[in-house]
Amino acid sequence: MKVSKQWLQTFFDAPLPSAEELSNALTFHAFEVEGVEGDVFDVKVTPNRGHDALSHRGIARELSAILNTPMRVDPLRQPVSLEPKTDSVTVTIEDPDLCCRYIAAHIQNVNVGPSPDWLRTSLESVGQKSINNVVDATNFVMFSLGQPLHAFDAGQLKEKYGKYSICVRSAKSGEKMLALDDKEYALTESLLVIVDGNSDVAIGIAGVKGGKPAGISDATKDIVIESANFNGVSVRKAAQVLKLRTDASERFQQGLSPELSAYGMRAAVDLILELAGGELAGFADEYPSPQKQQSVAISTARVNALLGTTLSDDDIGGSFTRLDLSFEKSGDEVVVTPPLERLDLNIPADLVEEVARIVGYEKIPATELPPFPNKPDVNSNFAAAERARKDLLEKGYSEVYTSVFADKGERAVLNKVGGERPYLRSTLVDGLRDSQERNARNKELLGLKDIRLFEIGTIWKDGTEQVMLGIADQDVKEVALKGQDASVYEDLPISSAERYEPFSKYPFIMRDIAMWVPQGPDAISEVLVIFAQEGGPLLRHVELFDQFKKDDRMSYAFHLVLQSFEKTLTDTEANEVMKRITAAVEKQGWQVR
Amino acid sequence: MGFTFAEGPLLESEWYNFDALNVPKDHPARDMQDTFFVKGEEGKVLRTHTSPVQVRYMEAQMKKGNPPPYRVIVPGRAFRNEATDMTHEAEFFQIEGLAVGEDITLAHLKGALARFLRGLFKGADAEIRFRPSFFPFTEPSVEVDMRITGERAPAKLRDKWIEIMGAGMVHPSVLKNAGVDPEKYQGFAFGMGLDRLAMLRWGIDDVRLMHSADLRFINQF
Repeated sequence: MKVSKQWLQTFFDAPLPSAEELSNALTFHAFEVEGVEGDVFDVKVTPNRGHDALSHRGIARELSAILNTPMRVDPLRQPVSLEPKTDSVTVTIEDPDLCCRYIAAHIQNVNVGPSPDWLRTSLESVGQKSINNVVDATNFVMFSLGQPLHAFDAGQLKEKYGKYSICVRSAKSGEKMLALDDKEYALTESLLVIVDGNSDVAIGIAGVKGGKPAGISDATKDIVIESANFNGVSVRKAAQVLKLRTDASERFQQGLSPELSAYGMRAAVDLILELAGGELAGFADEYPSPQKQQSVAISTARVNALLGTTLSDDDIGGSFTRLDLSFEKSGDEVVVTPPLERLDLNIPADLVEEVARIVGYEKIPATELPPFPNKPDVNSNFAAAERARKDLLEKGYSEVYTSVFADKGERAVLNKVGGERPYLRSTLVDGLRDSQERNARNKELLGLKDIRLFEIGTIWKDGTEQVMLGIADQDVKEVALKGQDASVYEDLPISSAERYEPFSKYPFIMRDIAMWVPQGPDAISEVLVIFAQEGGPLLRHVELFDQFKKDDRMSYAFHLVLQSFEKTLTDTEANEVMKRITAAVEKQGWQVR
Repeated sequence: MGFTFAEGPLLESEWYNFDALNVPKDHPARDMQDTFFVKGEEGKVLRTHTSPVQVRYMEAQMKKGNPPPYRVIVPGRAFRNEATDMTHEAEFFQIEGLAVGEDITLAHLKGALARFLRGLFKGADAEIRFRPSFFPFTEPSVEVDMRITGERAPAKLRDKWIEIMGAGMVHPSVLKNAGVDPEKYQGFAFGMGLDRLAMLRWGIDDVRLMHSADLRFINQF
């Protein structure tokens, strides 16, 4: 979510610290900041905090706690009034499980026009396009408080006995709606829609997108504002089915507090009256079962027991105060009653997390685990695997892992990206044979006479999942890996490799060279030095494959493997390297055979 | 440190892979694009992480009449249904750790991970840093960064904070789903991409090499 520092500043009297400090404050105490561009942050709000933190106010609340700086004003802590009531618009909700609150406001005689600069810049700073003062006001409130809103042109709604009617119901199969993005959406019964109750025509897809016909235009005079609470799961499914993710659906799908609808509505109406004028006819609020307050109890001892800290009562109370979580002492415990929007605080461990991140995770010491009182079990399957590994590695086999996906098998996955090789393998043999063939092409480069591989891997055969040991040498075969009782695991050496050396993806060329060299203890190493000097980076591998003694001279024969990191080496280039090597060898007075 | 190996099936039930781990039915991770489902076998998935073994292990121990303490380590394959590139693989290796007892704390997680990294980096100094995060199966949840310092640290990693895993205190619902009393026992769990760890440790530039069965790669180790 894009968050503007200037916008955040409107919630504080004290100047906020630098963008970098703010970014660190959020990353280490609340949410990862994935990027900073000028004064705009990209904040990755965690899924448990989508209820309250997908807004500038939500981030300001966090910063207030983290920086221990009071907010100038927290809009969600002010009294909110949905007065006057009106019967000029009525609201009907078919299923309160899918829409637990719907507030409609009716404003007459607005002047739709361009937004003032401050509003336009605020929206543009977080990547939004300014549309007109009415639509911008509803968007501004969404990015400010987190409550999505929508404005309908009442002139496009049907009046019955001088009243408008809004109805929230499931769409009917075959129903269609032209949305504000100029696309026509075919609706299904699983979707929730907002309809003009007097004409039964869909004017919006609940929580996702508004309809074009009742959209705000320059000619609009009367408007109906929607501030509602739609079921998160239902909105998420709708956005998926329609392949239409919007800022509104992203917020609703997190599950929002229905109390927030009132704050969003009041703020939007006030802003519209200020920017576009008009007269407020009033509000219609359908809210059959108001949200109940919940409380959670926690003790200082419990916090410390979970975190491994020695925090005091004051540390803990102080964290709650900074987060604006009201609490009361009750014996050894404090009973926290989270504010309306903090739907994420349900169990004591949730409160422990709040304390930990406000106090700071750096305050948690690194403590050694206490000794384990029991003798650790030896897992028989791992013991068997380790024994097989040890045995085969000692015999010069290499361990490989090949894909579990195959061209054939007994079971298949339903939904593989790309659709290739959808089966779960029923044997290790095919994968091993394939990798043996591929590796055989690099035998000389690897300095191997033959390719010997093994894999310990899962297959799905005869209706069961089983772990097999597959071995590839002259033959490729597999056996079930049977668990072995053992009192200890094999002590396999940890690789002594320090760093991985990338290898060239281009083909190599192998050349042989044989020579007579005077006998001596350093003869071979002198030859190797010449090879290295003249071959340079193109010489990837040297292998002595033949030697014999005649009189006081030695004959050595080498395979030289040449390969470039940049391109496919040509014969001519390989010949040049060999020419240089030959010349250098002969310069020593040795005879190339 | 007293950890023992544990294992579980790769073709896993949705219960162990999701529900038992407190991942609700409507969680985005359960959507088609992330998880491999199996044709003709409803409720089965290729496990998306090694965490289902947490519940399987604790449940099996409780059934055998062995209450905590538990310490297990679970290396194994996991699967995510995504296109592959240099940093993403549909098949990957994870290592899961779980320590449960009456007195296991988040501070022990810091200590245990630092000790593990000092071992992996052969005596270099390892520091652990936590950042707030969210996973349905832990509360509190943290992202874990490491910093390898000292002369024995690989030059490319030295003194840099690097994100290595997600971790936290096992969510009480997970303990409960495994039959362990969350009022009496608590513990930490972590899950780390083994491929990524190996890539960091040895400077490997392409995750696909790990599953390539290419000896030009494998025989370096």
